[in-house]
Amino acid sequence: MKTRTIEIIALISILLTGCAQKTVNIDVVNDEGKAVMALDYRDFDQAASGMIQSMLGSGALKKPGGGRYVVTTGRIVNDTMQRIDTDQLMAKVEEELMNSGQVVMTSAVGGKGAGDKMIYEVRDIRDSAVGDEFKKDTIPAKRQLIAPELSISGKIFQRNIRYDKNRQQVEYYFQLKITDLTTGLRFWQKETIIGKRGSNKSVSW
Amino acid sequence: MKTITNILLFVIVAAVAGCNGQRDSRIHLREEVGSDTLGNNIVTRPVTHAFSVLIGEGIEVTQAVTKRNDAGFLELYVNGYNRSYKTKRFRYRVEWLDENGLLIQSKTSVWLPGSAMGQSPFSLKAVAPVPKAVNFRMDTRKWE
Repeated sequence: MKTRTIEIIALISILLTGCAQKTVNIDVVNDEGKAVMALDYRDFDQAASGMIQSMLGSGALKKPGGGRYVVTTGRIVNDTMQRIDTDQLMAKVEEELMNSGQVVMTSAVGGKGAGDKMIYEVRDIRDSAVGDEFKKDTIPAKRQLIAPELSISGKIFQRNIRYDKNRQQVEYYFQLKITDLTTGLRFWQKETIIGKRGSNKSVSW
Repeated sequence: MKTITNILLFVIVAAVAGCNGQRDSRIHLREEVGSDTLGNNIVTRPVTHAFSVLIGEGIEVTQAVTKRNDAGFLELYVNGYNRSYKTKRFRYRVEWLDENGLLIQSKTSVWLPGSAMGQSPFSLKAVAPVPKAVNFRMDTRKWE
């Protein structure tokens, strides 16, 4: 009897293992997977691509007289029902803007504080007793940081709408703008909408 | 009898001539928006639509133009026409090539959505991510 029970348990285990969904890696270059109600990486790719192309095509980043603009990322507000790190959008935008050769990003200031905290930690060392341990000419002097000329700020927000009895519509709005920090004038602005329609049972947060 | 036939012919000719005279190629009046014509009416439409599906009409690209913008980036303008009677949704990806024909890696070269309504022209625009792009290649795939 005991042997029979073990055999049955073993058989059920084998069957369950066979039914389990296999984990596969996503082909992120040519993903033909179904759309999901929440924002996935394809939505961020799409939004970022549109934003970057619009920025570069507008000529707003071409500095009169030549040279490159110093740009920082200001506040990007996530007003969706999802936990989104807005860097998912901005890392792509920043990377492409720098690759374009038209701008240089600063890590000294930003909407989330300094992009690299070491900038200020090194200065704290300079101004402390520990600074005496370093060769003087390897520590940054005062007034070496370059202030940004342009700031990219924006917002991602979401609207959930009941489409019919069984379906809902979720609209995601990506809004970015570039502001000249000296004059306060806005050089460029764009909104990209990504809309999804699906079952009420799908959750978008 | 002959007079009635003549009057009918005159009315038809006048109607056809009248329709042609008002047509402005810049304005597209879709089926069931504009007036029916002899070749496009409630009787002929199902036949033409079925024939279109039968021969597999779809999207045609009529023109692909590149120009360099003031900031030095290559811009691609693609014009096309959706020959089918249904809205065609598709995805497209534009990749940029340097002077050696080598691919320029870019976050902008991703599959983007495209859409063209039935029997309508459509346009797409893409901007190269770097000034060194001199050529492009574009791929399309079905909307999943």
